[in-house]
Amino acid sequence: MVKVVIKNLTKKFGEVIAVKNLDLDIKDKEFFILLGPSGCGKSTALLCIAGLIKPDEGEIWLDNKLVTSPEHDVQVPPQEREVAMVFQDYALYPHMTVYQNIAFPLEVRKKSKGEIEKGVKATAELLGIPRLLDRKPKQLSGGQRQRVALGRAIVREPKIFLMDEPLANLDAKLRVRMRIELKKLHQKLGTTTVYVTHDQVEAMSIGDRVAVLKDGVLQQVSTPKELYDAPRNIFVAGFIGSPAMNMLEGNLVKKNETLMIDLEVSMFELPTWAEEKMKEAKESKVILGFRPEHISLAKKYQKNAIEAKVDMLELIGRELHVHLTAGECSFVAITMPTEDVKVGENVWMVLDEEKIHIFDEKTGEALI
Amino acid sequence: MKFPRPRRILLYALLILFAFAFILPFWTCITTSLKTNQDVKSTVPVEPPTSPTLEPWMEALNIMEKPLLNSLTFTLLATIFSCFIGSINGYVLSKIRFKGSDMVFLFFAIGIFIPYQIVLIPLVLTMSRLGLYNSIEGLILTHTAYGIPVCTLLFRNFYKEIPDSLIMAAKTDGAGTWTIYRRILLPLSSAPFVVTGVLQFTSIWNDFLFGLVLARGTEALPASVALANLKGTTTAFWNVQMAGALWYALPVVVVYLILGKYLIKGYMAGAVKG
Repeated sequence: MVKVVIKNLTKKFGEVIAVKNLDLDIKDKEFFILLGPSGCGKSTALLCIAGLIKPDEGEIWLDNKLVTSPEHDVQVPPQEREVAMVFQDYALYPHMTVYQNIAFPLEVRKKSKGEIEKGVKATAELLGIPRLLDRKPKQLSGGQRQRVALGRAIVREPKIFLMDEPLANLDAKLRVRMRIELKKLHQKLGTTTVYVTHDQVEAMSIGDRVAVLKDGVLQQVSTPKELYDAPRNIFVAGFIGSPAMNMLEGNLVKKNETLMIDLEVSMFELPTWAEEKMKEAKESKVILGFRPEHISLAKKYQKNAIEAKVDMLELIGRELHVHLTAGECSFVAITMPTEDVKVGENVWMVLDEEKIHIFDEKTGEALI
Repeated sequence: MKFPRPRRILLYALLILFAFAFILPFWTCITTSLKTNQDVKSTVPVEPPTSPTLEPWMEALNIMEKPLLNSLTFTLLATIFSCFIGSINGYVLSKIRFKGSDMVFLFFAIGIFIPYQIVLIPLVLTMSRLGLYNSIEGLILTHTAYGIPVCTLLFRNFYKEIPDSLIMAAKTDGAGTWTIYRRILLPLSSAPFVVTGVLQFTSIWNDFLFGLVLARGTEALPASVALANLKGTTTAFWNVQMAGALWYALPVVVVYLILGKYLIKGYMAGAVKG
């Protein structure tokens, strides 16, 4: 059982707070993602787990052992943490061959020659790089370097893998392939993994659970599906999904005992399930959110639909992205490529009422 | 064939003139060193010798043999010591952050600008109290200590270019501070070692002042001081002096010949990320 527990972690760099009161509970064998835009503190948190950075406050427990706690003056050095790290720039030792690079962690641990050779060979076999062992990092492509960096982490069978944007420097096609391989590798080895990325697609596709961070503050920890279906606030809603969720400001009003949102361009009557949840809500400014795939387009007026003008059409293979404007706001709808719309035409956006989101405009928190 | 433009011709004429001015003393030195005493008096310095002889070379070597060996010993050792200490300092100051490390570095940087003359009296006093006055060991210690600031600066700046992730990777791989230095940084340091080494070798070899005040007699006498002594008090043996000067210049020339290729690589290192 290799769990990682982070309690109340805070790290400041001068005046800048990189991580603020972070609490995480990473389960055994989990592929856990730290996701957020650059500068959100995700890498800092990772380096704290590795022991490469000393936080200002909080505790980190690895495998039921307290490894970091400024309060108790505990800071186990990275060498003794049994974590392996993969860096964005791979950090391969340039003067060593691939063999020597992978062997390094074993050599440092004073393993016997035979053990080292066995370990390196097995790792190279696992990653499909046995033919590269005599090469220097300079002679390798990006993807090959990535594998060597992984090999160096795998070879010593650490308790935890820490990965800091390991795929960010690869080209798009390779990134998709490596991400699948990483997932498979994780299934094979079952090692608890903490993975940092700014790419939400990457996070959604390989993570068992994803923690979204913004400005050093944890926004939400959930499975990818839940993150997508039930974002807890506007930031998560806007960050997850591409094209992003459509957002429309409005006023929550009560008319004849029914809750409605006055969107200025039209009135939107809340469906029963939402109304149920918002019984207690007062009249206030809210934001109505709906994903592009939850819009269907109608040629004629319908109740609860929002009238909009078609601005632009983007045919992306098996789907059509329809860009629309209503008043000051712009939207994207995803439809079938066969959808009969023309640029300049007025249409009605019919929302899938089961899938709408409502956020408080002031706090950004989800109301339903 | 296209006729070269006048500006080109002018440029080359100027360059040839400069080259000539540069080579003239060197040429005079060689011709004079190959002349007999008779020749020195009867010919103009730039003229080639009428009856070339190696006699002045042998005589100069006779006098300078011991000082040259002295100089070679302390120069080589002080170069090696100051480079290694500078390299370790550079590693600590660039890759291991500790409280006040920037302050420490500032003091090192200031050390580069301390003129030799200021430290002469305390230096002689310290050396004589340590019992190292007039000894090779004393010269090694002095030159090593005096070289540490500039070596530290050069190595620190070089190590700054090495990505921190490399050090972090080594740490998580299980390597300690010393292993990281020995296994990761040192093997990557050939370029700064060549640059710093050549710089140190030349400056220690060429030093006159420390050698002059720290050595008496012949026991620890550096070649630079011995060469100055060659000029005599009443009569000047120009041919022996010139031969001595050439003997004295030889080791530095050899160092540049051997390491010149690497030196250029070293200067370029850091300019382009490897």
